[in-house]
Parts: sequence; C-alpha cells; structure tokens
Amino acid sequence: MLCQICKKRPAAISYTQIINSKKTQLSVCIKCAEEKGITNPLAGLPEVFSKIVANILGEELAAGAGEITKKTSSRRCPKCNTSLDKFEKTGLLGCDECYQTFEKELSALLRRIHGSSKHIGSRPRPRRVVSTDRDLVKWRAELEQAITKEKFERAAELRDLIRDAEREANGKNSGRSRKA
Amino acid sequence: MPNDKALEFSKTTVRNLNTLVKRMPRWLENEAPKANIVISTRVRLARNLEGHAFPNAAEKEELYAVIREVYDALASSPQLAGPMFLDMLRLGKLERKFLVERRLISPPYAESDNPAMLVVGEDECLSVMVNEEDHLRLQSIQPGLNVEEAWRLMALLDDDLGEHLDYAFTDQFGYLTACPTNTGTGMRVSLFVHLPALALLEELEKIFKKLAPSEITVRGFYGEGTEVVGNVFQISNQLTLGRTDDSIVKRMEEVGEKLVSLEDEARERVLDEQVVQIYDKVYRAIGIMKYARVLTSLELLNLLSYLRLGFDLGIFKNTDRSFLNELMVTLQPAHIQKKYRDMEDELPRDVHRAHIVREKISALF
Repeated sequence: MLCQICKKRPAAISYTQIINSKKTQLSVCIKCAEEKGITNPLAGLPEVFSKIVANILGEELAAGAGEITKKTSSRRCPKCNTSLDKFEKTGLLGCDECYQTFEKELSALLRRIHGSSKHIGSRPRPRRVVSTDRDLVKWRAELEQAITKEKFERAAELRDLIRDAEREANGKNSGRSRKA
Repeated sequence: MPNDKALEFSKTTVRNLNTLVKRMPRWLENEAPKANIVISTRVRLARNLEGHAFPNAAEKEELYAVIREVYDALASSPQLAGPMFLDMLRLGKLERKFLVERRLISPPYAESDNPAMLVVGEDECLSVMVNEEDHLRLQSIQPGLNVEEAWRLMALLDDDLGEHLDYAFTDQFGYLTACPTNTGTGMRVSLFVHLPALALLEELEKIFKKLAPSEITVRGFYGEGTEVVGNVFQISNQLTLGRTDDSIVKRMEEVGEKLVSLEDEARERVLDEQVVQIYDKVYRAIGIMKYARVLTSLELLNLLSYLRLGFDLGIFKNTDRSFLNELMVTLQPAHIQKKYRDMEDELPRDVHRAHIVREKISALF
C-alpha cells in the first residue's frame, strides 16, 4: 500500500492506535517515518501517532473546505463502489474500472509516484484465437481502413493479430509479443 | 471452499504442504553467479483479471470465481511442470508462517482470511499467489544474481497465462493493479544481498542513499515492513510505470553488479585493515554455534552471517554454500515446528535449533 503521508512511496511501517475502541491505522514509508521522527516505533508512539493523524486529518479538513474537493472525494466507481475517499485512506483501488472513473486523479498520482503516467512496457499476448482464412481477409481489410482513418492503435493491434495468425498458419511459434 | 468439482484441488492441500516441508527449494543450490554476495534474485509480476473486482473490494463468491479461472489456466501450464495447489483456507497459522519463511507467500497474505490459492511449481522457482493484493502475484526465484534468467522464466509463465486469461490492461496505464505503486509493468525485481563487510565498515547508509532512493528500495529479511537480520538486505526497484520490462531487468542487474563490486572491495579492505578482528568474529561465531544450548532464530541468522563471510573470505573451506543456505532456511521457527511436532513453545524450539547447529558445526570444526 501507499504511504499515507507522502502518497508517493510504498508504506513500510504500519501503526495502529485504539482509543475508546475506535481503531485508527496509519501506514507510512520509511522516509516519512524518519522525517516525522518515528524511526523507533516503540518510543513515545501514541503522542507521535496522534500528532501525525491530526496533521493528515487537519490537511484533509482544510482541503475539504472547498466544495469541489469535497464532491470529488466522495465520488464512487460505478462498478465496485469504491470511493475516492476510501482510496485515499487505503491506497487501494477496487477494480479495473476505477482507473477510468478516477482517471484524472490517478494520472496525476501516477506521475508523482513513477514520474510518468504512460505505460511503455510489455502487453498481454492476444488470446489465442483459432483464425480462419476468412478472418485474415477481414482483418487485412479492417487494417487498411484503420490506417486510412488514422486509428493507429487499432491498426497496431490488427497488425499483431495478423502476424500471429500468419505465423501460426506457418506452424511457427509466434514468440513473445512484448514490445518496448 | 464451496463444494464443486473445480475446487477439488483443495483436498490435496495438506499433503502438498507436507511435501514442501520435506524438501529443499532449488534456489538454495550451490553454484550460481555472484552467489558469494547475492543469495537470490526474485522477479514478481502483479496481474488482475478483467471484469472481476480486485480482492480488497470483491465478495467471497467472486474470489472463488477467480480461483476457478486461474486453476484451469495454471493446471495445464508447461512452465510450472506439475504444480502443487494449496487452498490457503485449509492452512493454519503455523503452516502460513512456514510458507512466509519459505518465501512462497507474503506476510499480509498469511494474515488474510480471503479465499486464496497458492500454486507452487516443481522446484519452487516459480509460484503464484492467487487473491493477494492483486488477483495474481507471479513469482520467479533464481539462486545468485540472475535477473535475466528469473525474468525469462517469469515471462514464459506470464505469456502462457495470458493466453488463457484476460488480464486487466489499458494502453495508457498498462497492467492495472490494486495499488498504484505497481501499475504499469506490475514488475518488482528484488535482490537478496549479503553485505557484512559494508555493514562492518558502516558504509551501508551512504551507499543506499547514493542508490537513487526514488528508484530503489531497501528492505529487511522478509520484505515490506520487516527488519534487517544477518546483514541480508532486500533491494528492489520502486518504479513500474513509464519503463519497459527490459529496462527494469537491466537496471536491477546493474544495481546488483554495483553492490557486488562494492561489497567485494569492502571485503578486501576489511581483510587488509582488520584481519585479526575478522578472524576473531568468525571464530567466535563458530564457537557459539558449536557450544550454545539455546539459539533463537534471530541470533542464528546473525551468526550465520559471519560463518558465510568466513567461508567467502576463504578463512575455512570445509563446507559449501548450499549447507549455509540450508541452515538459514530450515532452522526458522515454523520450519522447525512443522518438522518436529511438539515444539509449540519457543524454548524447546531454541534448544532444538541449538542441538542441530551444534551437531552440524561440530562435524566441520
């Protein structure tokens, strides 16, 4: 999970505080723990803990003062019902559709974490479809259309599909479709 | 587990666990590149299935559906070569701790009471946690510094699974994961490195700071949130988005090479400048192992660090690396408790550990 203070690095230390049977949990990364002076988790923890929680809550309250922020944080994913609020607390998204629902917030967050919000690594290999000659004719036509209409992403997909199908037809292993 | 045919693997859980208790993983073997400093290399991939809520937001029935889909895809995987399936809900606290010690599962996975399935390949070099933070956590371990080989095997398994399963993926964000720290490639490379000389010279902090802290994380023995024991550190890449898989592999191989050369150089310096002190430390460790009557696993890991250093510096030669690795793995608390039933309390376990160590070390020195 993500550090609840900087929301950048993975959390490495988790603190739990129970007061009047109300449980509060805080997960932070080592750097933030050091910065907040909690490298020794056993020393004076309760005070430090409540100070940090108050800090975070304080910031959140301040942020929540603006109407817009308040509205955004209670927005929910239509598929899994995870709210932005909950995501901020747990650092976990609820489903693949959350990436669409919170796309704007996530793009910013991902840039902060990784310095980029665009994937350039490998892609899943297309599911092995038993292709017929008729499929190939259809895909080639669609590929030409995609290129004319400048739908390059679809064109690339079709190109891979055709290449794999051709290789398979030639009885060769299609190899790993990882692209850099 | 619901009572249906697809989940029948659950029945063999206990038998499979006992098989694991009796054997040793291949990544502990003797000869491997830079094995004097890098104990093992691990590559992990986070994957989710399209259309299912991630484990933190999924109902039980949905998690079972994930298990069914993954079971079908994995049972036929040639990469896993006759995999063992374990139903996590059939395993108690002790068995789960055993699997953590064996590095087959993560500490949070051991705590979870979600329906979950662990899949272990033939020699334990490949394994899959189903329904951890993500639907799939694929793991590939190799002995020594060998990111490329660990990645090669991992990629084969990932490709193979990808042909049977629809992964949650978009062109923009890549592989979609529950935590945004894994989004993109979903790839985490971890090196388990033994750095006793740099620790003795108190140069670790400086080096770790230099290692681009925004890019590389340093953790303790069992991963996230755990302590450093016996001078063994877990070094991992932190960034997973906006990088290609190959560039992460290459970068981590470089980080490994760099640490190896720094530790090598530090070992030479230590031998040069503190030869008497080093011999003293190594032989004191041997002395304790030869005569101690009570040994905690923490103390043993620290002693083993000196034993390993003594062997690597050529102070003695009458052992081999797999012996040292075996002591490190098989004498952990849950490993002892699993093998010798009546050891629920710490003291008998520590006494037993001391007994085994005494016998093994006395045979050598």
